[in-house]
Amino acid sequence: MLPKNYLQKKFEKMKPKLKVIGTSVPKQDAGTRVTGKAIYGHDIKLPGMLHGAILRTEHPSAIIESIDTSAARKLEGVYCVITADDVDVNNIGYKRDHPILKKGEANCTRDEIAAVAAQTKEIAKQALKLIKVKYKVRKGIYDVQEALKEQAPQINKFISGKFSNKNIAETFHYEHGNLEEEKKKSAHIVTRLFTLPRMTHACMATSNVTASYNTLDKKLLLYSSTQVPFLYQRDMAHALKMNPSDIRVIQPIIGGGFGSKLDIHPFEPICALLSIKTGKPVQILYSREEEFIASPIRQPMEIELTAGVDKDGNFTFREINIVKDNGAYTSWGATTPFVIMQSFSSLYKLKACRFNATAVYTNNVFAGSFRGYGNPQATFALERVIDLLADKLGMDKAEIRLKNANEKGEVTGQGLHYDTCGHKDCLETVIKKSKYHSFRNTNNGALRNTNKNESTNNGSRFKKGIGLASMLHVGGGAKIYRSDGCGTTIKIDPYGYCTIITGSNEIGQGSETVLAMMASEELGIDLKKIKVINTDTDVKPWDVGVHASRTSFVAGNSLLGAIKILKEKLNKKAGELLKSDNTAYEYENGNIYPLRNTNKNESTNTENKASKLTKEIANTDSYIRNDSDFVKLDKVVREMHFTEPNELAVANFFYEPSSKFQDKDFKGNVSGSYAFAAQAIEVEVDTYTGNVKVTDIYVAQDVGKVLNPLLLGGQIEGGILQGVGYALTEELLMHEGKILNPNFHNYKMLTAADIPNIHFFPIETNDKEGPYGAKGVGEAPLIPTAAAIANAVCNALGLEVIDLPITPEKVMKALASKNTETIQTKNK
Amino acid sequence: MEFNIINPVSVKELLGAVKKEKHFRFGAGCTDLLMELRKKPDEGLTVINLAQVKDNSFTGIKKSAKGIRMGAMFTAHQIVMNEELKKTFPVLHDSAHNLASTQIRQVATVGGNLCTASPSGDIACALVALRADCELLNTTQKTRMVNISTFFTGVRQTALKPNEVLYGITIPANHKNTKNNYSGFIKVGTRRSMECSVVSLAYHIQVNVEGKILKAGVAIGASAPTVRLAESACKFLIGKTFKNITQKEKEEFADKVLSYASPITDIRATAWYRKEVLYNISKSIFE
Repeated sequence: MLPKNYLQKKFEKMKPKLKVIGTSVPKQDAGTRVTGKAIYGHDIKLPGMLHGAILRTEHPSAIIESIDTSAARKLEGVYCVITADDVDVNNIGYKRDHPILKKGEANCTRDEIAAVAAQTKEIAKQALKLIKVKYKVRKGIYDVQEALKEQAPQINKFISGKFSNKNIAETFHYEHGNLEEEKKKSAHIVTRLFTLPRMTHACMATSNVTASYNTLDKKLLLYSSTQVPFLYQRDMAHALKMNPSDIRVIQPIIGGGFGSKLDIHPFEPICALLSIKTGKPVQILYSREEEFIASPIRQPMEIELTAGVDKDGNFTFREINIVKDNGAYTSWGATTPFVIMQSFSSLYKLKACRFNATAVYTNNVFAGSFRGYGNPQATFALERVIDLLADKLGMDKAEIRLKNANEKGEVTGQGLHYDTCGHKDCLETVIKKSKYHSFRNTNNGALRNTNKNESTNNGSRFKKGIGLASMLHVGGGAKIYRSDGCGTTIKIDPYGYCTIITGSNEIGQGSETVLAMMASEELGIDLKKIKVINTDTDVKPWDVGVHASRTSFVAGNSLLGAIKILKEKLNKKAGELLKSDNTAYEYENGNIYPLRNTNKNESTNTENKASKLTKEIANTDSYIRNDSDFVKLDKVVREMHFTEPNELAVANFFYEPSSKFQDKDFKGNVSGSYAFAAQAIEVEVDTYTGNVKVTDIYVAQDVGKVLNPLLLGGQIEGGILQGVGYALTEELLMHEGKILNPNFHNYKMLTAADIPNIHFFPIETNDKEGPYGAKGVGEAPLIPTAAAIANAVCNALGLEVIDLPITPEKVMKALASKNTETIQTKNK
Repeated sequence: MEFNIINPVSVKELLGAVKKEKHFRFGAGCTDLLMELRKKPDEGLTVINLAQVKDNSFTGIKKSAKGIRMGAMFTAHQIVMNEELKKTFPVLHDSAHNLASTQIRQVATVGGNLCTASPSGDIACALVALRADCELLNTTQKTRMVNISTFFTGVRQTALKPNEVLYGITIPANHKNTKNNYSGFIKVGTRRSMECSVVSLAYHIQVNVEGKILKAGVAIGASAPTVRLAESACKFLIGKTFKNITQKEKEEFADKVLSYASPITDIRATAWYRKEVLYNISKSIFE
């Protein structure tokens, strides 16, 4: 467990002059959430509201011969029953290959056949039972290799078929350098095939939406948990054949996103359709079981990686072939190779890379985006193979990583510009802090007796191991849409309170708190007097949404841009009131202080070399502030508003990161900055039960600059536990298209009791592009975790791990037949 | 999920309800019952809620020369917090402490854990190792004692008759000459809380001052249709000195424990894994 105040202690010396940024301000809505006063989508009750429910297919693959809804329609309390025949809509999904309601055939266990709106949830459920569907069951295709066979039937009929095989949904090809040349230079080459499982987000709040259609003005209001409200508005409008501006999206408090709410899902337009048909508000709430069955997953894939190293330990080339199980429809999950190829091409210095990825339709459940966006899969394969290359060379596993680590100023083969780079620092930190070398040297069946019931005094039962892994991820947004920008409007009222209207949104990550902190820092306004408005598309300016660890970076820069403009206005009025011709002012405690420059060469802002947009006040000795010489901020605003020329204390700013679209070969500087991290993880494997216990995790992450230690710590801990789950326990098990464990009883998400000791070391590289030098932090904590745990298990047992999760049963099977040297036994 | 509910506040009212109702189930902590009814609704069902019954004989704990008697509604949390139980029967303390989560332990009862009759019941496994007796009370207010090993008759089946309710559980006192007994509960699963045992082993081995084994109780969970007492493994230990058990004896003991296992393969583990692990953890008692 974490020692009390560990974060405060750790960060004490890192905030030289900033007053709010860098301090542990609790989440603004923490009190609301823990006292149960938070209004989630489930809590919304509109007058006259109906309850929607969805009938899903009984068979993952079947011809739908007929649907008889007559009995359901007759049931008292039922207002509306819809099937594909009752609606005029467009397909949804990244490839527009996903019908909202299915007609003629079912291709996936989630398939929506019909929907009901009724007076109560119970009536809606009862009505579903009265709908008679005749199916002609088909065999179905649940394996990607089967789907690629020539005789396989076409699974999704909505794609143009531009690929070589009718069941290919998407392909990606990337390369740089001379692969053949580098192969020749390689002293050792390793090839492995890795298999990655289905993992689900398991958000604490189940999926929900409330739709309210106004039949008079034909406008649609949606209370939705989407992570990307403006893309959602656009997609919803396309699906419903409406004008996007006639759709207003309001986000209630969201109980978990993790990427699951990047796509629009069929239940959302279905709910809108039920409201349009009935003219009444309709709400659809998922049960926990429905959440497991019908919400997205992390994409399962097979990664074949061949990698080389020269005799001195320099990485030479990587060749990657990935086959992803796309499921029946294409979601954003199909685009994860954008991120996957980035790690393969640009994590550690690499001379040549060739990358192919293919997404293949099957009758399995389809994926979505999930924190890390393909990167945990890529990093697992890559970091595993690095260990194998080191073994071949007889080189130390830490040394080979440090030798090849990325560096500041590097432009990678893919065209990523590392203006700052904490890769080596991260690796060195975890190697040192975990005592990596002394651990490995003394690890001869060492024993740690931790729990009476799990450990004994026999030295041979528990095997300890340590593993290393690092990662690269976008840290300044990712330009995948026409704009990766964010707009902000900021205003100060005549009482000195500040309102930030930001395009970005809050899905629990704490962005509104960080934005308020920035405003407090820059304007000297107490946090209690700062409000963040971020939930309504009718009010807020454009933002692409919460993804790619981008919000603090992009929305932060946007806010700082708005503050800069606002301050110019305030400074001018303050100067008038103070009868001063100063150009520099300090904002603190609700006051504006003019600053006198005592230094002739006018050097400003030496402390804040990081961002162009942050504080322009001086913290150097060359400026002098007279504490009795000030004007109150609220007075300045009143004077602006109420005296000529009557100006509002309002400013707008739109920030677009400096990143570029990648070209058709996927080359280009896709992010405003890049985040790096490394983890060293100690495990103890119980050879009696096969249980892998993660004892200690050493994490170093290049966060650019720590904005809020408390919230950063939350991201680190939460991400790590998600990573440990991916490594050891979490898997959505499927048999012939059906989910076998749609509940927390058998889907083994870890609990607070499973948290290992986490030792966190932030690395500050002060990226000039980031607000105060900060980079994105949200996804990184989970990305290298499974890789490092797998390396640690291999170290402990002298076996190879080639698939996840590393369940106790797989460990026992591998131990029982140690000559096979792999932990791969499928326990299905 | 719909059902009728009646809330007797005394044992007398409870027996009246049992006599009157035709189609009923008992609800103690309801931690299993609600999950079951959500999955399989039972039309016209009446739940007799036991949680409001106030009689101390049904909710409390009492020590006597014969042993310790817990009322059927004694909760897992109360077991965990009870110092006497922790000292005298560590196996029971451990089993309750490993059960589900803090929140669930507040309402989950010993009676519920027994009457659910799950093969993976943790408290049940400990009580079998302790050779406890179940006290069954019928509607004519007569009690009968049934040894816990015969209380379980199959998967989710017990010796309870339709006119009976589980009233209390008595754990026989330890042998008077014993000191520093070896007693514990080994739970194997993937998570450290909110976990249902994949395999479990309860042991309560009583030794005298010299460490010689006088009495032994070893029970296995999640390895057979019911929790089972591994009687031959227990007998094998009598008279041996705990600390001097040899590697060969350990293995023989584990083999004997394993002979009681007839596990199934399900979503959580294969039969092979359960046997493998049961053998290993049986040996681990002496390590």
